[in-house]
Amino acid sequence: MPDENSQEEIEVFPFIEGKIIDLVAPNSKWAELKCKWRNDPKVRQYSRNMWPRSLDDVKKSFETVPDGHRHTREHVGFIIYHKRDKRPIGDIGLNHIDWVSRNANIFAEIGEPEYWGKGIVGEAAQLVLKYAFTELNLHKIKAGVFTPNERSQRAAEKLGLNKEAVVKEAMYVDGKYHDIHKWGLTKEEWLKKNKILIHID
Amino acid sequence: MAKKYNFTFIQGDIIDLVPLNSEHINLYAKWKNNPNVRIYARYIIPQTVEDMKKFFEPSKDKIKREINFEIWHKKTKKPIGTGIVSGIDWYGQTASLGLIIGEPEYWGQKIGEEATGLMVKYAFNELNLYKIYAGINSANIGSWRCAEKNGFIREATFKKDSYVNGKYFDTYIYSLFKADWLKLKKEKQVK
Repeated sequence: MPDENSQEEIEVFPFIEGKIIDLVAPNSKWAELKCKWRNDPKVRQYSRNMWPRSLDDVKKSFETVPDGHRHTREHVGFIIYHKRDKRPIGDIGLNHIDWVSRNANIFAEIGEPEYWGKGIVGEAAQLVLKYAFTELNLHKIKAGVFTPNERSQRAAEKLGLNKEAVVKEAMYVDGKYHDIHKWGLTKEEWLKKNKILIHID
Repeated sequence: MAKKYNFTFIQGDIIDLVPLNSEHINLYAKWKNNPNVRIYARYIIPQTVEDMKKFFEPSKDKIKREINFEIWHKKTKKPIGTGIVSGIDWYGQTASLGLIIGEPEYWGQKIGEEATGLMVKYAFNELNLYKIYAGINSANIGSWRCAEKNGFIREATFKKDSYVNGKYFDTYIYSLFKADWLKLKKEKQVK
């Protein structure tokens, strides 16, 4: 059943267009929806939100930055918008952007579990990688996934990320310590892999 | 009064680049108001001590877009000017360089040239920038010599762009790519 928040007509502004989904600019009218995703036990287990998030907390993330678009960000976030169903279903983006060493961490979350297992994160992440390398001119993208999150491990592998390291018992989730798998991909590797993809197409 | 350390951040031969020092605020104000110094640095409005204090306030940008140095004369142990990497565009990896030697007795001693060289190296090798600019008044021959000695190319001229002492002057836009700078450095080593 579609979420009641998504029923409200909200004008969306696609920033990057995909096939099944678009990456659109966040809209503060989705704050409640985002807040639901952040707190949903099923969702947050994998995105590792250990603290309850109030709606006020979430609303803060929509506040404008002091210097508009000239402000150098450490974080760029998009809403994943399902084109056919016309509803926001999750978010994705880059955080911990290091502008000197030119790398960033990619994060993604599908907040509506009915859209899990449909390759949506794969498509969205591919768009974010392209954005990171060809628009932000970053050198490397990293991802950290903890062991039980098999779906994300598979997504990272499918995306062509390389598993670079396993950090032992680095994360305490649900009563247990888990290893964190560190994935990474440089722009050069991405360019090479992407060319191959284009040939197959 | 004398500090135990002067906090050398980048070491040169004649000069070091050190952090700004809030105890030198009056000195900075003096330099930026000095008619001979300010003419080409385009300080058209009187610079107050309060204005100088702004440099020491925490920046509202989490990621710096401007980096200031004090130019420290090693032999005489004196601050003599300031240098700046400004307008850093972290997306495009570009920035502008600027500097003033506030004490005229140190002019003509290639100090500007050395300070520029140190800031260029910092911008490329530490900030990982791709291209740097310097906007220089056409009458400010000393400054363009100092840019050219460091490998900068005059990339553009903004016609009658700057009004100084009752006359319009062109502004030369000098630029230097990291790749060209690396090539120059290699050639120098071969020689």
